[in-house]
Amino acid sequence: MGKMRKKKHILFIAPGFILYTIFIILPIFYVFYLSVFEWSGLGEMKFVGLENFKTLIFNDRVAPTMFNALKNNLKYLLCVWLIITPFQYLIAYLLYIKIPAFKYIKFMIFMPYVISSTIVSFFATLLFSPNIGFLNKFFEWIGHSEWQSAWFGDPNRAFKLMIILIIWQGAGSGIMIFYSNLMDISQDIMESCRIDGCNEWQRFFRILLPLSLPSCASIITMSTIWALAIFDMPFILGGINGGVNGCLDFANMVFYRYTFGSGLNGKSNLGFGASICVLMFVVMLVVTVLQNKFLSKFEYDT
Amino acid sequence: MKRRRSGEILSPTARTARGVLAAILIVYTFTTVFVIGITLLDSLKTKGDLVSNFVGLPKAISFDSYKKILFEGDFINYFKNSIILTVGGTVGCTFLAALTAYGISRYDFKGKSFLTAYFLIGMMVPVQVSVLPLFLILKKIGLLNKLPGMILVYMAGISMACFVFQKFFRTIPVELEESARLDGAGDFTIFFCIIIPVCKPVIATMALITAIQEWNDFYMPMVLLGSKNVKSLTLAIYQYISQFTRYMSESMAAVIITLIPVIILYFLFSSQIVEGLTGGAVKG
Repeated sequence: MGKMRKKKHILFIAPGFILYTIFIILPIFYVFYLSVFEWSGLGEMKFVGLENFKTLIFNDRVAPTMFNALKNNLKYLLCVWLIITPFQYLIAYLLYIKIPAFKYIKFMIFMPYVISSTIVSFFATLLFSPNIGFLNKFFEWIGHSEWQSAWFGDPNRAFKLMIILIIWQGAGSGIMIFYSNLMDISQDIMESCRIDGCNEWQRFFRILLPLSLPSCASIITMSTIWALAIFDMPFILGGINGGVNGCLDFANMVFYRYTFGSGLNGKSNLGFGASICVLMFVVMLVVTVLQNKFLSKFEYDT
Repeated sequence: MKRRRSGEILSPTARTARGVLAAILIVYTFTTVFVIGITLLDSLKTKGDLVSNFVGLPKAISFDSYKKILFEGDFINYFKNSIILTVGGTVGCTFLAALTAYGISRYDFKGKSFLTAYFLIGMMVPVQVSVLPLFLILKKIGLLNKLPGMILVYMAGISMACFVFQKFFRTIPVELEESARLDGAGDFTIFFCIIIPVCKPVIATMALITAIQEWNDFYMPMVLLGSKNVKSLTLAIYQYISQFTRYMSESMAAVIITLIPVIILYFLFSSQIVEGLTGGAVKG
């Protein structure tokens, strides 16, 4: 009986294992494999070694686009670290100390998270469209036409606006994770901290922050990965070419253009597209490893 | 003075500060009500009314834009596609994840920890990296631009659900299964008649958030469902936005129809959704 029991697990695991391997794991290796070939998707695959990567990094036409896109990705990543995450933590803290109406705020602040980024982009069009958008109409109505702007058509504003949209839509998940981490801190610690007479600032910086940060490492890792893979919103708001002067261009959009769009020099080369994916993957890996090294410094022995 | 949960007594300044912050946040959350409200109102205007009166109450309630997208054009077809994708993907993915998680967490075998880690990889690698190979694989097996192909890809994304289920299954006492086994129940009977009913809440939660994610998905359908007859709702909305001035009233109605299911689900199950997306998924 014992032996029979040991074998049955295969029946449970096999279906999931097969599908998962074919559609999730295999593609990761496949993309590495493709990246060293020149291939239009039909016919012969030509082995070219690292030629695709060379084009990506040194070609006069491709490299500036690629580096501009990567620069935007890193800029967005900096926003995640320096603006979005602290903002999320602050809101989580405010919910934790039960500011007035915190239940309503908690409910509403998470809601946009279940709304598709397509629809969020639609809302952005409603508000920010230069011709019919609500904001420009409103400025005209209150007699301040000089405040009108092209918004997403203005390269100085497009990126900032997108960060605001991302916060509006996505901040909820991080807030909830930080919040539940704060709630997990033992009440004994809070009690002894109260008896020792520490004030709110001390309690925040000496107790809550250090005790909840380590468990936040995984959410920061996830946001980092997503920051490097962003696609939907800049694609819908800035168009396939990444907005005016490429201010909304990201690595993933460069990949999309070269792979499913017009291709490189007018001919489609899937290997080249794959090499962009590999580059993205490598950047993600490096950033995540560095970041986790950095975050682990803050870990306390508890 | 009110004593707070942590027991400290608030000074008047601190109380004012909290009140002000709360007020700011309440105003901030009104943006959600505002944009959804405007869209809803606009969707009830006639086209002429909409152009002249973009923000504000409709002159008369009209269901023209709804009639237009529901009875003309392909919108209803996109709606059907989205339903098929979401239901198929969610049921398949949740079921597969439950099976796999059960196999891993309730049996002893070699390579158990390897498998646990193996199934986590999908959570760390975004689909954007692997979408080109997915495109080629689906093309190879003849399922590109077909709903079943997309559903298979959704079904394969079991990483998160599998991880959450494993954690949950480990908490079920072994005695429960042992006594059923002594009564002569087979492994699958135990799984379907004991484990699934016991785990209903967590399974429902994971199914719920999987469904919301698949309903909202834009990138994968765009790449993997290119031809017109298999498009999903998010793609339809994208189409409307890219020609916004032409399809203004249609897009309002389309957004509302796409939005209603998730908003209803959120109002009914907000705590489960939050818990599913945060609690089990990335914590710990």
